[in-house]
Amino acid sequence: MALLPPEEGWYFKRVAKDEKMWITIALVVCLVLFFWMIVWHVYGKQNPSFTTYRTTPQEFNALTQAFIQKYKIGEEKGIPVVEPPPNSDVFLLGKMWAWEPILVLKKGQEYRFHISSLDLLHGFSLQPVNMNFMVYPGYDYVLTFRPTSAGEFYIVCNEFCGIGHHMMIGKIIVKE
Amino acid sequence: MFRTCDITGLKVDLRAEKLIQLNAVMAVVSLLIGVIAALLLVLTRWQVVHLLPVEWYYRVLTLHGLNALIFWIVFFEIAGLYFGSTIVLNSRMSSPKFGWLALILMVLGFLLVNFTILSGNADVLMTSYAPLQAHPLYYLGVILFAVGALTGVFLFFANLLIARKERTYGDSLPLFTFGLVAAAIIATLTLATGAIIYIPTLLWSLGIIKTIDAGVYKLVWWGLGHSSQQINVTAMIAVWYLGAFLTVGGTSINEKVSRFAFVFYVIGINVASAHHLLVDPGPSPAWKVFNTSYIMYIAVLASMIHAFAVPSAVESAQRRRGYTKGLFDWLKNAPWGNPAFSAVLLSIIIFGFIGGVTGVVNGMEQTNIIVHNTLSIPGHFKGTVVGGTTLAFMGATYYLIPLVFRKKIAFFGLAKIQPWLFGIGIAVLAVSMYILGAFGVPRRHYDITFSGGPFTYTFNPAVDFFWVLFALGGLLAVVGALAWILIVVISVFFGSPVKGPQDMQLQLASPPPPAKENHGFEAPGTLTLTLLFMGVFLIFLLLNWGWLSAMWEVR
Amino acid sequence: MEEKEKKVPFLQLVLDDFMFLLFLGVTIYAVSYLIWGLLELAWLSPIPSEIKESLLGGK
Repeated sequence: MALLPPEEGWYFKRVAKDEKMWITIALVVCLVLFFWMIVWHVYGKQNPSFTTYRTTPQEFNALTQAFIQKYKIGEEKGIPVVEPPPNSDVFLLGKMWAWEPILVLKKGQEYRFHISSLDLLHGFSLQPVNMNFMVYPGYDYVLTFRPTSAGEFYIVCNEFCGIGHHMMIGKIIVKE
Repeated sequence: MFRTCDITGLKVDLRAEKLIQLNAVMAVVSLLIGVIAALLLVLTRWQVVHLLPVEWYYRVLTLHGLNALIFWIVFFEIAGLYFGSTIVLNSRMSSPKFGWLALILMVLGFLLVNFTILSGNADVLMTSYAPLQAHPLYYLGVILFAVGALTGVFLFFANLLIARKERTYGDSLPLFTFGLVAAAIIATLTLATGAIIYIPTLLWSLGIIKTIDAGVYKLVWWGLGHSSQQINVTAMIAVWYLGAFLTVGGTSINEKVSRFAFVFYVIGINVASAHHLLVDPGPSPAWKVFNTSYIMYIAVLASMIHAFAVPSAVESAQRRRGYTKGLFDWLKNAPWGNPAFSAVLLSIIIFGFIGGVTGVVNGMEQTNIIVHNTLSIPGHFKGTVVGGTTLAFMGATYYLIPLVFRKKIAFFGLAKIQPWLFGIGIAVLAVSMYILGAFGVPRRHYDITFSGGPFTYTFNPAVDFFWVLFALGGLLAVVGALAWILIVVISVFFGSPVKGPQDMQLQLASPPPPAKENHGFEAPGTLTLTLLFMGVFLIFLLLNWGWLSAMWEVR
Repeated sequence: MEEKEKKVPFLQLVLDDFMFLLFLGVTIYAVSYLIWGLLELAWLSPIPSEIKESLLGGK
């Protein structure tokens, strides 16, 4: 049968009761899944962003350096530590093989992250929360975060970016 | 030009048979490379051993991706396409010359790609995301392989047109071939996309084009990258129906339902490549939601339809043979000693419960935030393309060896347990990878202690246990794969010839008695299993959305 | 002898017409995934000047 042409009148054969039941259940689940994603955009608190801007590595780097200058409060392991005010534009640059700058944020406050790359694709993987986003050269990904937990968080790069990929790890500190 | 098979009665075009055999041989060679690479990778990611040095890790990872995910499967599928469009239809190969051209291009591409990878000129991983750049010969190799495969796909359609014109099969194609039609349609757009993305990339690597936009590259690439996996899903399901037919004489209890499900694939499955860009800048949520949902989940509905249709094909045939006691008598008395049967059944279970359950959730726009680029992703696709497609293809080969190569299966005792070795190994590997990813462990990453970095992050100590499971599962899967390769190679090149039906070690089931008029449930056992699947799926779904809602807010 | 009316349903003809299915599959994918997606990338705008000015000081 699978190897032979179907029987005469196959198109008109009645669908069995249990197969019909299963298809109905599956169809309902499928439609619910689709509308769920849309509804979550309205009522859910975790959504990938609606906002991306075109940029260049040079432009974004200049903006990041200016941002660092404006809000720098210190340095750790040679990386600038920056404490931006809530509800402001925060710039995070990924490059081979580091994240710049280290950020100090306040729990419960919103920050408009602008994330981009100086060179290749990188992966923004926030641990231990385990939220993951992509970082592109030429694209400014605007993600508005509100940290709901305090402590020390790390940004693991989880998109292959060359031989130093595993050394690329950044830091975010969230104060109470 | 033809022989008549003394076992199946089918007319076999000898020119097609030769091409089927050669593509199958190339498939096995590719799988061997992929499996050796897998062994090295398992022993490297498990940092207790950390076998390979850093550059070789990424190199072997690239090698593994190309050989296991592309070459092994596509060579096998081309063999299957030729089989389904000639032998199954009692028809002829439209142009053996183009079949040879296709093979030569694919072999040339295979050689170029593997050589450039091993010589360190393509440390870019299978996705080769620009601005990462490989040597021009790498891109040329991929293009040659894709053009060769596309030639094979066009030959498939040409064969069908001839068979239709010469009326060798009546009005409607057999279900197995119809499934291959769906697979070949997906293959057409896949390989065309491959040309669209790899030709400019080749020119860029030669310096003729200045830059490649990273966003454009990734968007177009996944039109090739994921669609190629959808070919595998569709071909796998066609093989499931074939397996049900050969082992127990079962077929879809409603051809219209199964065929519509394949058509839903044709309409909706290819746009879901969007799930690779859910947490990427660029495309809007509207584009993401519409496309990642396979167009309102029409193609997921199709998968669920096949999830019922295939086991019910087996159940229906078995019930007609008299195995009507209770819910699962039909399954208990199925030919589990037939490695093709066990492979297909294991493939259904692993694909559904591991691949399918994790896949839909990973592909929802928001829950993707949890899994993107973590080890959960390869964990998911070990469940689909390895535990699903590869295992099903391994099972089909147990019929290929006596029927197309006309050899007896060597080490038959080992063959009977081989699907279990491979299936259980992959299942354990897939699940442990998924869980490691849930703890945040990244994929494609050499050292999760971040040595050399400014800080270190320590993952939840529970990961140590799952790394051990990962290693055990991986090693068992490698053993199962090598066992299969050993059986195939010894049988084909050194096995005793099959001289007639008396030499068949696997039963070719005769059709069961016709169904009695029945107004109740035709496959209650299958319904129970599919409802169980739905329960597991919904629980996993709710868990993930719960975990998501506990994370930081983001928009 | 009675002539049996053998009208094949339209949808069955669609199912049996694999060249039409090929066209359907390729076209839907090309429009919904490729063309729409590429257009969205082309429609992106640059970083708003207010943001740039607040950091770079109207350079």
